Parts: sequence; structure tokens; C-alpha cells
Amino acid sequence: MNFFKLRIPNVRLYLLQIGVLGTFLSLLVGLFHTQVIQGPYYRRASEQNRIRLIRLEAPRGNIYDRNGLVLATSRLAYHVYAIPEDFSPEDTPILSKLLGLHEKVIRERLSEARHASFTPILLKQDVPKELAMKIEERRPELNGVFIQIGFVRTYPYGDVSAHLVGYIGKISPEEYKNLDPTVYHYNARIGRAGIERAFDSYLRGEDGGRQLEVDARGVPIRLLGEKDPRPGNDLRLTIDVKLQSGMKDLLTKHKGAILVIDLKTGGMLAAFTKPSFDPNAFVAPGRSSERLSIIGSKERKLLDRSLNGLYPPGSIFKLVTAMAALEAKVITPHTTFDCPGYFRFGPKSRAFKCWFHEGHGRMDLYMALERSCNVYFYNVGRLLGERRLAEYARKLGFGSPVELELPTAGGLVPDAEWKKNVHRDNWYPGETITFAIGQSYLLVSPLQILRLVSAIATDGTIFSPVLVWEEFKNERKDLGISVKSDTFRTIRQGMLQAVSSNRGTAQLARVNFAKLAAKTGTAQAPPGEPHAWFGGFFPFQNPEIAFVVFVERGKSGGFAAAQVGKKLVSLYHELRSPSVS
Amino acid sequence: MNFAVPRFLKQIHWPLVILTVLFAVLGIFEIYSASFREGGSYASKQLCWLFVGLLVFFATMWLGYRSFLDLGYLFYGLTIGMLVWVLFFGESVSGAQRWIFLGPFALQPSEFAKVATLLTLANFLAARSPVEKQKRTFLMASVLVGLPTLLVLKQPDLGSALVFLPLFLAMMFLWGIRFRYLILLFLMGLSSLPLLWHILKPYQQKRILVFFNPQIDPIGASYTAIQSKIAVGSGGLFGKGWLGGTQTQLDFVPEHHTDFIFSVVAEEFGFLGAFFLVILFLLLISYIFQIMQQTTDFRARLLAVGIASAIAFQVFVNIGMTIGLAPITGIPLPFISYGGSSLIANFFILGLLASVYKERSIF
Repeated sequence: MNFFKLRIPNVRLYLLQIGVLGTFLSLLVGLFHTQVIQGPYYRRASEQNRIRLIRLEAPRGNIYDRNGLVLATSRLAYHVYAIPEDFSPEDTPILSKLLGLHEKVIRERLSEARHASFTPILLKQDVPKELAMKIEERRPELNGVFIQIGFVRTYPYGDVSAHLVGYIGKISPEEYKNLDPTVYHYNARIGRAGIERAFDSYLRGEDGGRQLEVDARGVPIRLLGEKDPRPGNDLRLTIDVKLQSGMKDLLTKHKGAILVIDLKTGGMLAAFTKPSFDPNAFVAPGRSSERLSIIGSKERKLLDRSLNGLYPPGSIFKLVTAMAALEAKVITPHTTFDCPGYFRFGPKSRAFKCWFHEGHGRMDLYMALERSCNVYFYNVGRLLGERRLAEYARKLGFGSPVELELPTAGGLVPDAEWKKNVHRDNWYPGETITFAIGQSYLLVSPLQILRLVSAIATDGTIFSPVLVWEEFKNERKDLGISVKSDTFRTIRQGMLQAVSSNRGTAQLARVNFAKLAAKTGTAQAPPGEPHAWFGGFFPFQNPEIAFVVFVERGKSGGFAAAQVGKKLVSLYHELRSPSVS
Repeated sequence: MNFAVPRFLKQIHWPLVILTVLFAVLGIFEIYSASFREGGSYASKQLCWLFVGLLVFFATMWLGYRSFLDLGYLFYGLTIGMLVWVLFFGESVSGAQRWIFLGPFALQPSEFAKVATLLTLANFLAARSPVEKQKRTFLMASVLVGLPTLLVLKQPDLGSALVFLPLFLAMMFLWGIRFRYLILLFLMGLSSLPLLWHILKPYQQKRILVFFNPQIDPIGASYTAIQSKIAVGSGGLFGKGWLGGTQTQLDFVPEHHTDFIFSVVAEEFGFLGAFFLVILFLLLISYIFQIMQQTTDFRARLLAVGIASAIAFQVFVNIGMTIGLAPITGIPLPFISYGGSSLIANFFILGLLASVYKERSIF
């Protein structure tokens, strides 16, 4: 141990001690300088408390549709603020009269922040310009009261794209604690839903501010420092708001959703959902009762049915069953089954009915798709089995969320293993064949059906759908599974016949200007009427768009949804050809 | 048995105890002054922490520093684990992940990492001779200290991360590292500055930029710097008296019960108060050096020097930032700032020192 003792270089220890002494001496010198030499100056500064901090709000970026129409913007507004320390209580009656606020309210607001009485307090938001001018004119009388220019978000198209664009709201005290305080101040607004939320940091600018020296009455006399606010970035969406506005007339009676995608780019042209709400109720001051009624609505107005609604798909799922069976080589397009109007596993077992009780007779795959024969697909489902069908459904994107800038629902693809885990019960053969026609436990979102139809229309080389206009980034992606183009061609032919044949279930959607291919679905969802589905692409040759119409409790895909589909394609066609409009 | 108690009392380094309790009591009064207008119960909570701290102090002293040094690597591993855990699952406050919540208590693992690193480094260096394989030892010690530093920096907690630097340098220096390695370390540090700059969050970058040019951010960091300077300066020679500090109480200076507690002291007790506080801290550090020179255990000497440098650094940066001598980083003032983790960690290291003092003659 003595060896170590000898080893410690004492010179080094002295050096260290001298270092510590030196830094502490410099502290003492610094303190002496600040407190004793400059003390009187700082004493005055603190007694007068002459420095005021005024935040300059940065305007949030605008959101445009694909044609540059404004979906969200910030309107200039005048807010009335007061600094409690500078305000003299005898002015309360005058202020109360000017603002139309109760005297008690003003007094309460000002006393709320007792410990921070030099921080400006917001008295009234968004006052008319004339009132703002008046207050500025009377500034010498009204000490500590001032007008601050701020912004109020507005959504010109209101409920048309409310779910997509979203809205903003004031951050809560808990959020304030957890967020970076240099970006989000105490009264900051943050995107609460939709694009406003997903792209909040892109849209929001950086607030600026002014450090002012004021005189004893609170009137600014000198600008000590200033930082300009940096406005937020604008964002352009792929949505065509005109097309989406037109959808309000298509879906009049029922709730539902309509989705349209541009197959050449993957950009979503429309994502309409009904019922909707007016997002302005969330941002305009003084509309809180309306806001509460939206949030509490029994119709679930805030739910975006197009992206997040989950429903049984019904017959439109036969497209998946057909693809899976063709790929698994269980059938060929020319495999025929006889439809007597029902299906039985054995002579004594229960009959599963076809929707066409008289029976379709003997038919091949094309005819089965055209007429949406249940019995044909019961047979296919039995040959295929639930495991393989579920596997294909998952590969085609069902059961997991579709990749998009906004959150989307995943849905449910059942199989025997799932049923065992969740229902603690065995999987029955009857469930396999109802699964094959899109019933049983299956749940899908309209967006997932859109993805399916897009894949069929483009031989499986689809874009992942996007909402934000970024032509440079979006690339064609493979479906992730190899499906032969013959399979796609067969399915497309079946969908074409469903519209063009006089016995096709989608014939009501036929348009006179071009060929259209689609498939209907009528999904049993007791209690209540069935849901109506209609999904397809247009035109048949070299398709431009794929679409899905979902009518909640619409009774019949062939009637309710197909008719909406026809109007939708006509509307799209009209907007595309400049001569008509 | 009757004899044992007074002997135990006799072995205590009383000046150390009295001094630190004095600091903590001053802290409690100032925490009260800084927060009574907002109605927080910080002062009474801190009083509880003081009792816990004293308990920890005596327990540590009774157990002896040797057992803690022997378990140093275990502590080290444990705190590294905590730091990693906090990065992934920690509660974030104001955008920084530094806390582990255990019921009503919030633990700040970075405080404990500091202590564990002290112990480990003392252990590690004392077991190696500076005469041979110095390069190897130097590199391994760098990794030993660098790992927790980077983890704390990632939280991000610039202030706590910086404290690792002086304790590392001082311990290496006293251990006998060649000057050329110190120069190398300095150059390495200089060249890694751009890299470190990117690890920092924008608000931390701003604080450092503001240190060099106060006009950059008039509503954020430089506002704080100016207001804290006004608070300290307005205290003048004699101060405004207890509970008389308007600057700090009226919220001009943020974090006034934690990082900016010194501006409350300086505003209320003036230059005289601030002067005595600095002198008392100097006294504390000289006691630590004294204890160090009375022991022959090399591990204990290294430990003591690390503790002294860490405390001196924290005091300097904390007080310096209130008067513009150092950039604003979140470093608490030892024993005075509000915060249970920091107070307990500090009493723990003092307990180690007290036990070094107690066992000084065992050879």
C-alpha cells in the first residue's frame, strides 16, 4: 500500500486544488460584478419590471386539394390581451362594455395567473376589426390592454373533407408538460385529427417574439429583441375536392363511404364518408356546444367510415375466393358447378341457400362472378378450405391496416386457429363456405376493398395509396405475392360481365360512354338491413380509377350501391371532360 | 455497548455533516420562497428528502466505503440498465426522458449513474498501475465513463452528462495519466464537438448559441438568461430579504426551485449571501481534499478527488449560468436545488467520504 502512497504525484494534487480555487474565485468576481457594480442597474430593471415578452404567432401552412383549391387555411384575427400587472382595476367597467364580457369574467381571467402577472392573458379571441381599432385608439386610457394579431383556422369546404383534413385544437396541460416547450407553448394549437394531426410538425411554423421595454404605464418604449415568426409549410393533397363535393348528392339517404383512387399514381382522389361534421366548429371560438354534440353524436360522426369502418364484405369478397382458388389450382375458369338454389354437405344436412332461390343452373367461373352465385362459391370454398382462403385474404391486405398517411383499420380475417383462441370453439365446415362468400367473421374496411380492386385492375402492380401529393416519391409496389396475370384477366372478365351482361348483378351501373367492370356485394349484418357494396374500376381498357361504394344498411349491392356507382363514374367522367362543365 | 455509541459519534466528520445540513436547510427555505406563490409543496417534500438523505448518509458511513467500492461494478451495471430502460420506457417531462416513476416517487437514474461511475472508475484505476499499459487503461476508462455519458446525453440531459467530464479528467489526472493523453483527450473532445452538437436537441443548441450571442432567441433561452441576471444583480449587496425576491417569484426566471435556485438566493440575500455560499462550498471541497490526504487507500483517494471535482463543477456551472459565466444547462446546485434523487445521491457520496474519514487509520 505504501507503494501507492508514494506514487501519488503531489504536484498534480496542488494543480487540481489551484484549479478549483481559480474557478471559485472567478465566480466570486462575476458575482461581485453583477451584484455590486451593476447591482443598481439591475435593481432598477427589476423594480420597474420593464421587460415584456410578446409572442408572435406563426401562421400554419395551408392545405390544398390536387387542383390548388383551399381545404384549410388560417384567417387573420384580432385577439384582445391584457397584462395583469399593468392593468388598473378601475378600467374594468370600460373594458367590460367594449368586449361585451361580464366584469366578473375579466377579473377572474386576470387573477388566474397571479404568480405570472407579467404574462399577457387572453381576454377575448377573434374580435371584429372595428373593435380592435377602437381598443388600440383608447390604449392610453386602458393600461396594459393590447391587441395581438393571431390566426384562426378555417376549413372552406366544411364537412366535405372533414375526416381527411382533420382539425386543430389547443393542447392540454398534460400534453404541454410532455412536449418540447420551445415548439409548443402553453396556448399552442396542435393537429387533433386527419392530415392536420399526421403532418402537424410540417404544417406548423415557428413562433417568433418581441422583447419590449415598456414605461410605467405599460406602453412600449424600446424594442430589445425580435424574432420573426416562420410560417408553416403548405401541403397539397391528392384529393379532388370537386369530385368529393359531388358525392354529397350521391349518398343522400344512407350513411356510407365512397373511395376513388387514381390508378396511375396511387393518389387518392376522394375519400368521402357520411355522416360528416363541420371542422370549423372545432376551431372557431364560441362553438363549443356544437363541438360537444359532434363528439357525442350517436351516429359516430367522427368515425371515418372509408378508412376505419369495419364491415362484413359480402359477395364482393368472392373476388378473393376466386383468385385464391385459381392460384391454388383448385379450379380453372371453366370449372362448372350446378346451382339448384341451395347447397348441402350431405343428403341430410342443412341447406345453404343461394340468393337466387330458383337456382342459377350449371355455370362456370365467369358466369358465377357475373351473377354472384353463392352455391358456386360454396363449392369453391369447400375445395379450397378456410386455411388457404385466409392465407390469400391476408396476402391481399385484409386483416392488417393499409399503409396510408392516416391511421387505418386492420379488420379481421378468421381461421380455425383464430376461432380456437378467441371463441374457444372448433371451426365448422359451414363457416368455411360462408367465409367464401364474404360472411362469417370476416370484417373489412372500404379502403381494403379499394386496394383489392386496384390490384385486380393493374395486374397486381399497385401503388400504396397516398393522400399527400408527392409525385416524386410514390413508386409502384408489387402486391407482395405472385398472382398470374391470367388470374387477374379472368377476374376482370367476370367483373366486366357483371356490369355488361343483362343478367349481371351490377348491370344498373352500366354507363353509355365506356365499359366499366365491377362487383357488387350485399352483406348480411343482423340486426338490421344488409350493407351494400360496389367496387370496380374504370374504364375497362387501360383503367384510370378504381373505386368503392359502401352504403351502410343499403339493403342491396345491386340496387343501392350500383346506382351510386353509376352516378359516381358519370360524375368523374363529367369532371374529366372540360366540354361538359 | 454503552461505549459504542459515543465512539461512533466521535468518528463522524462533524463539519461535513453540519455544512451539508446547512446547505439543505438553506435550500428548503429558498425552495419555499421560490414556490409558495404557486402553492406547490416542494419545500415540505424536500424536508422529507433531507431526512431520507441523512439516513442514507449514516447508513453508508456505517457500512463503509469499501463494500460499496467492491460492489462498484454491480452498481454500474445496474445503473446502465436503468439508463437504457429510461430511454425506452421512461416518463418524459418537457420532451426529455429522464424519469422512472415508482408510485409517488420519480427517480432520476442519471444521478445514480454518476455515483456508480465514480465508484467503478476509482476501483478500476486503483487496480492498474500508471507505469505500464497506460494506453490500454486510458481507453478502457474512457469507455467506462463514455457509456453512461452518452446514455444520459441521449435522454437528453446535457447538464448531467457534462458532470461526467470533470470527474473523469480529475481522476485520470490524479491517477497519473501522461500529459500527452490529456492533450489527446482534449483534441478528441474538440473534434467530436460537431457530432455531439447533433445529439443535442434544438433547444439545447439554442441555449449554447445564446451564451455566445444573447440576441438570437429573445423569447426563449436568452430571455431566461437576461431575467436570471436581473434577478441576481437586483439582489445588490444585501439582498431583498427572505421571500422578497420578486424576480424569481413572479416567474420571470423559470425552474426557480430547481436549476435556478441560486438566483433566488442571490436575489434575496445579495452579494453577501452569495459570497458566503460560494465560500462554504469551497470549504466543503477543502474538507474533501483534507479527508483525501488523510487516507492511504488509493481507491479512496481517487474516489475523493472524483467527488470533489464533480461537486466543484456543478457549483461552478450552476452559479455561473445565472450570471452568464456558463451556458444554461440543467445542472442542479448540490444539496440546495429541489430534487430527491440529487439530494440522496449527494448524501450517499458524502457518506462514502465520511466512512473514508472514519477508517483513515486502519492500516
